[in-house]
Amino acid sequence: MVFQIFSNCIGTFLFKDGKIAAEKLFSDDQIISYHDKVKEGKEIAPEKDMLSKNAGAEVLRGKIPPGPVLKQFSEAKYLKRMREASIIITKREIAESVRRDHLIIQASNNIEETDKVINNLAKRLREWYELYNPEFSKSIESHEKFAEIIQEKSRKELLEEIGLKEELSMGAAFSTEDLEPIMRLAAGITSFADLRSEQTAYVEKVMKDLLPNVNAVAGALIGAKLLARAGSLEKLSLFPASTVQLLGAEKALFRHIKTGARPPKFGLIINHPLVSRAKSSVRGKAARMVADKISIAAKIDFFKGEYHGDDLKKELEAKLR
Amino acid sequence: MTIQENRLKGIFTEKKGKKIIFLTKNLTPGKTVYGESTYRAGKDEYREWVHTRSKLGAALAKKVTQLGIYPGSKVLYLGASTGTTASHVSDVVGNDGFVFALDFAPRTTRNLMYLCELRKNMSPIIADAKHPERYAGQVTIVDCVFQDIAQRDQAEIFMKNCDAFLKKDGFGVLAVKARSVDVAKKPKQVFQQVRAYLESRMIIVDYKELDPFEKDHCIFVCKKK
Repeated sequence: MVFQIFSNCIGTFLFKDGKIAAEKLFSDDQIISYHDKVKEGKEIAPEKDMLSKNAGAEVLRGKIPPGPVLKQFSEAKYLKRMREASIIITKREIAESVRRDHLIIQASNNIEETDKVINNLAKRLREWYELYNPEFSKSIESHEKFAEIIQEKSRKELLEEIGLKEELSMGAAFSTEDLEPIMRLAAGITSFADLRSEQTAYVEKVMKDLLPNVNAVAGALIGAKLLARAGSLEKLSLFPASTVQLLGAEKALFRHIKTGARPPKFGLIINHPLVSRAKSSVRGKAARMVADKISIAAKIDFFKGEYHGDDLKKELEAKLR
Repeated sequence: MTIQENRLKGIFTEKKGKKIIFLTKNLTPGKTVYGESTYRAGKDEYREWVHTRSKLGAALAKKVTQLGIYPGSKVLYLGASTGTTASHVSDVVGNDGFVFALDFAPRTTRNLMYLCELRKNMSPIIADAKHPERYAGQVTIVDCVFQDIAQRDQAEIFMKNCDAFLKKDGFGVLAVKARSVDVAKKPKQVFQQVRAYLESRMIIVDYKELDPFEKDHCIFVCKKK
């Protein structure tokens, strides 16, 4: 006779020649704590208990149990319980899967999207406002400043600033009622701009906490974007430097692999000041060096090493001067 | 209404002009999963199996001769994602069957969870399909293994799971994405490779390329020896 002990997510079972001979079902509270231990291949209390009653039984742990053992659980009552247990376990696993690097990713993506929104709205604002005051809109480049200043000052004041008289302007006369929606839009843009700067500050802070080395080498925003591309800190740290160099240039990379077109030399990393400032003849080399150091920094950050950010950055700057 | 039963059990068809659309009987009437259209016939509600959004649905549209999934089957579904196809599998197997829906990504499993809470025959699992021993405690022996994961070693993963959980004479259905095996190789070559590997251990019942519904994908229906 063969005795086997097997624990799954619903309980611990004793098998006699492949048939269930004894069982100890878990309560809802036990499911999670026992599941963790079983997954790590550790012994749990009910197994110990069952083993003491049936000395010599083989404990199936950390490997796939034989077919006949697994087959016993196809009965409806076990399946029903298995579903309940799986739902409990999975819910907890989803909750536990959230880590702080996911928050950076969300914030970083949000900054990118906010930028786009500001741009779109500002274009509309200018188009609209130019009916009323075309000359001034031309004179100021920054969207955010433009939105702010038109709320603060009247048309007359603004035109005086650029040395024009109101009567000679191309702008139409607007009633307050017609001007109001334009000002509301401008207020919206200003609040988006505030949101963006707040979130940038947040990303910078969390990056400093969580990825101090990457933050030092790549800068907070580029580091966060690389992280978002990679998906998680774990993935970013396990990437080779060559992958980091080309993050964000996937389309060009696969085109190169598929058709043999010229390979891309950099992805997101082009936004790094050391790369974008490099002469175009050595930009590829600069991108490679920066990617190398970012990759080292990410590895240090993931495995919780000491802070080497400044050293890495100094080395880079010395090489790329 | 001209809803007819298909040659494949648990699947229904309806003629819509020249086209034939595939349907499954909705287990949760009144609720749809991914915005698909529904059809009523008497007391029953049927959901359209949109063949451009599901590889199994595409296989049906390509006139696959065997799915391996029957009413009452227990199915291990690897790569369930948000549950688009898994919901149809759950419809087909019905309340006597069971679907173990496994996925690795917590984000997509969140949507799958809503589905599993509604359907009494679905159980969600977060695990890496590469390591069957880690979720052996959450499944049983099954009648069918369906796999749709975009991994380089998808054929090996499939074989591991079939060895561990598929009953003798059970069906294994594998959707292959050629571009995740090798982006540079011609898809046909990749399919050949996978076929040779599968044939060494299983009997291939049917094989369909899923163009034009899914680019560079194919589906294998095999039977365990």
